[in-house]
Amino acid sequence: MRTLVCFLALVLTAFGGVAASDVIRIGVVGPMTAMQGQHHWHGAVMAAEEINQAGGIVAGERSYTIELIQVDSNEMVSVTDAVSAVERVVGRVHFLVGGFRTEAVMAMTEVAVEHGVPFLIAGAAADALLAGRVDADYDEYKYLFRVAPVRSSDLAKLSILLLIDVVQRFREDLGIAVPRVAVVAERLEWADPLVRQVEQLIAAPPPQGLGAEWVGTWRPSARAESVSSELTAVERADAHIIYTALSGPVGVPFGRDWGRLEVPAAAVGINVEAQSDKWLDATGGFGAYAATADIYAREVAVTERAIPFVEGFIDRVGELPLYTAATYDGLYILKAAVERAGTLAVDAVVGALEETDHVGTIGRMVFDEKHDLIWGPQYVTGLGVQWLDGEALAFWPKNWRPDPVNLPDFEFGYPGAVPYQIPPWVLEHWAPEND
Amino acid sequence: MYWLKIPFRFLRSEVLALPTRVIAVLFVAVLLLFPFMTQDTYLLRVVVLTAIFTIYAVSWDVLSGYAGQISLGHALFFGVGAYTTALLNLRLGLPQHAAIPLGALAATAAGILVAIPCLRLRKHHLALATLAFPLMLTGLVFMFPGLTGGELGITRIARLATSRLVEYYAVVGVMLAAVGVLWKLMSSRIGLIFHALREDEVVVRALGINAVRYKLLAFVLSGFTAGIAGALYAHVIRVAGPSNLDLFMSFQPVIWTIFGGAATIYGPVTGVFVLYPALEYLRAIPAYRMLVFALLVLVILRFMPEGIGTWVRERLEVNCPHCRLRNAFTRRTCRACRTELAS
Amino acid sequence: MGRPVILLMLAEILVNGLVLTGVYAMLALGFSLVFGVGRVLNLAHTAFFMLASYGIFYFVGQETGMALAVLASAGVVVVVGLVLYKLFIEPVRDMEATVLIAALATAVLLQELMLLYFGDRYLFVPAAFPGYTRILGVRVGNQEIATLGLAVLSLVGTWLLLARTRLGLAIRAAAQDREVANLMGINVGRVTAMVMALGLLLAALAGAAVAPLRTVGPHMWMHPLVIVLAAVVLGGLGSLKGSLIGAVVLAFAEVIMVVAVPGGAFLRTAVALAIMLGVFLLRPHGLFGSGVAEEG
Repeated sequence: MRTLVCFLALVLTAFGGVAASDVIRIGVVGPMTAMQGQHHWHGAVMAAEEINQAGGIVAGERSYTIELIQVDSNEMVSVTDAVSAVERVVGRVHFLVGGFRTEAVMAMTEVAVEHGVPFLIAGAAADALLAGRVDADYDEYKYLFRVAPVRSSDLAKLSILLLIDVVQRFREDLGIAVPRVAVVAERLEWADPLVRQVEQLIAAPPPQGLGAEWVGTWRPSARAESVSSELTAVERADAHIIYTALSGPVGVPFGRDWGRLEVPAAAVGINVEAQSDKWLDATGGFGAYAATADIYAREVAVTERAIPFVEGFIDRVGELPLYTAATYDGLYILKAAVERAGTLAVDAVVGALEETDHVGTIGRMVFDEKHDLIWGPQYVTGLGVQWLDGEALAFWPKNWRPDPVNLPDFEFGYPGAVPYQIPPWVLEHWAPEND
Repeated sequence: MYWLKIPFRFLRSEVLALPTRVIAVLFVAVLLLFPFMTQDTYLLRVVVLTAIFTIYAVSWDVLSGYAGQISLGHALFFGVGAYTTALLNLRLGLPQHAAIPLGALAATAAGILVAIPCLRLRKHHLALATLAFPLMLTGLVFMFPGLTGGELGITRIARLATSRLVEYYAVVGVMLAAVGVLWKLMSSRIGLIFHALREDEVVVRALGINAVRYKLLAFVLSGFTAGIAGALYAHVIRVAGPSNLDLFMSFQPVIWTIFGGAATIYGPVTGVFVLYPALEYLRAIPAYRMLVFALLVLVILRFMPEGIGTWVRERLEVNCPHCRLRNAFTRRTCRACRTELAS
Repeated sequence: MGRPVILLMLAEILVNGLVLTGVYAMLALGFSLVFGVGRVLNLAHTAFFMLASYGIFYFVGQETGMALAVLASAGVVVVVGLVLYKLFIEPVRDMEATVLIAALATAVLLQELMLLYFGDRYLFVPAAFPGYTRILGVRVGNQEIATLGLAVLSLVGTWLLLARTRLGLAIRAAAQDREVANLMGINVGRVTAMVMALGLLLAALAGAAVAPLRTVGPHMWMHPLVIVLAAVVLGGLGSLKGSLIGAVVLAFAEVIMVVAVPGGAFLRTAVALAIMLGVFLLRPHGLFGSGVAEEG
């Protein structure tokens, strides 16, 4: 009897709720009062409008228009809220995109897979959102994919390449053969493997390592409100470069105190707060010259779709898209998958999603066996951006040689990238006549 | 036929005579019949979460409402319950029905650990000292990410039950049992001593009662109950993460209980069952959701400072001045001793 | 570089510790005063600090100049605070637990209002004293030095007010025993409101002094609240001197943690709180708390 009731309920939600008209409903999940959620939403709206204007999604004989449902997860404050928010819409939508806070995404995706609704994560980087789930229990978790950002282990590779670039700049501009590097990484799980890896690589000889000197690692809390003690300690350690791994609000006090106290070390690595167009406002301008890994920047032709998207987004919202705006690519990926599948049947669409080979705004997007984006030259690489003249400009990849041993002549870069600049006060402090 | 009369008579004289008891019986009935009215998984989930938080709020009421040991760090017990059951389930493969009680026991142990330094503290000092515990545990959570998963939390915990219907009845059943047991306990001598502890500890000691032992008992009872709530929560949400230890999580049971009426048991139940669904309902106006919520709490407390549950009860019932028995507000004379009730 | 590293470390601890003391003392002072006299555990105290920070951000944006911005936002904070106090806290102030929640709900109310008006993003409040100075080889922002100075000034000022004026006498009388003070002809309700206003003013000053050193956002009241509570409790509830000592202890604990164990910098708050509990084990009323005042 109970099974029958459950079955009836399932049938009702499957047919009664959804298949009434030729509409594909997509839930856009995010903390809608925060900038991250706003960008989830705007990215999705842009894609939906474009797709609907161009005739919608054609699957088999039928054509569908996209209808977006805003799902305010309030996930920054309450994970319970996030779960209930998803639960509330999961019976009414065909797909879900979005998510930001790791713990909340973990919980929300559990609801989605329980109901068999594909969820395209756009905003949380932890490897473990997919690794250990999709590969370990495929039948349960096959509904999960990630369209942004690149997973944190690839983000680590990217940030180390940026560090190499800056180390090179110190050698060339200042003649410092073995620059000293300090690590400032928030104490979160995603940063742990990154810190271990970067500590080893800093001192290791090239080409694998950096041939630099490691002077210490500081691990503030992701929510610390002041890091001036950490920064004075970094200065005492005589560091030339600070490698950062900061995703939380701590990025703002870091940038502010770093510029305000003119700490004589160049900051590069990951600082999620520095990806926001509000970075200079938040740091009172003291965040200038900070450099971070990112996926969007002005005037860089990552693919032919990048500049039109970034400019369109700036026209609409008034600021540079955050990586959560990759819901835009997410919708295009869904459209292509539904059209390939020719049906809305979930298993067929999941199969089609796995076949994705989509030139999106952040690179060529192809999923691996864990449903994560493949990272590397000619796939998605991400960018290195630096705050110069009031704008976040890309400085990497530019003349990047991904495999100097086997392919010494292969250089990779995007049109529009500009060279990295050492902050002027750092330059002055370490200039040869002062040393 | 005769045997049917007994429960019927009981119903008439003990339940129907008092409006609040009628409300309580109706409430339980609706709760148990709810899945027959709707199968919507969202609505079921909302009630499940409400029930879990009811257990949590009631546990706060026992420690802080009754015994007067105000705890602003109740998330500690909730979080310990959630993390322990998650670890036991995931690492040792213990089934839910074994992991949840063990999680609650761990929370009890946490309760004792907190109680030891806090027994000497009074009132506000105690409140503020308890605030520190979940925040310190958060530090430990981030210190040992290999065990706790850091910010990701512990994931892939087994579902509480195979179907949402079983989950619903399991949680609601545990909630009714927990509320019932605590209600009985608080109406007993223990509850009376807790009341006395809150009002005047010196008098309690002067009466030759071991105040320390009873305070410890309050921590144990409360820790255990909050631990059950945390453990159930972990299996329902399927993540045990640091958000369980947030300041927000610590403040929530305080809000619910005070809103409903402290030191009553039915107060926190009312508080959660009013406020939590209200917050869900306010999703209709997402931008103003928390604003309206805060205003609601402020205004209600402004006019009903003892809580909405207590306020309603005082309107519906009067105590007989002669025999202290409770009577419905409609009665002119006491239902037992016929004394005239002052209007 | 000429000096040994150990000396540099000591200088770092000393300087950063003092600077952080200024920040914490500034935040804790008003809270301590309000509790000592009003017997109100005002969990909304740091929310008024937040309101002041937003106020300064707003008024500086209107190009009023820094001094006027501080004045204007202090005015707004005091008025808004008193209105909220009269509306929601005073009517229920005999019920401790209800006061707790009413204050908390007030904080959430303010948070949501800021969220609605300014949005959920980080704002920068400019410093009244930009730039930095090197003290003992350690870089210190001028704003931090000013904060420390302001904290000392506020403390001395409050102390003078309490010790040397008629109002101070009334306040102390009310703090000692509300009923007797009432019988002696002191309008306790008004004295409490005065103290409330004073506390709000101190919160607003903290907004001017500390906000440039903190990230301004709608949730910025939560973490300082924990620190304030810890500092105040550590020193002994209701004791002004105590809350200053509490601030010193917490600040130095944090700084020493960062310098001594760089990899454990994230534990600084946890360690500071553990110290607070340690003090409790030895002295249940805090360092300077008196057991008597608590019973009132």
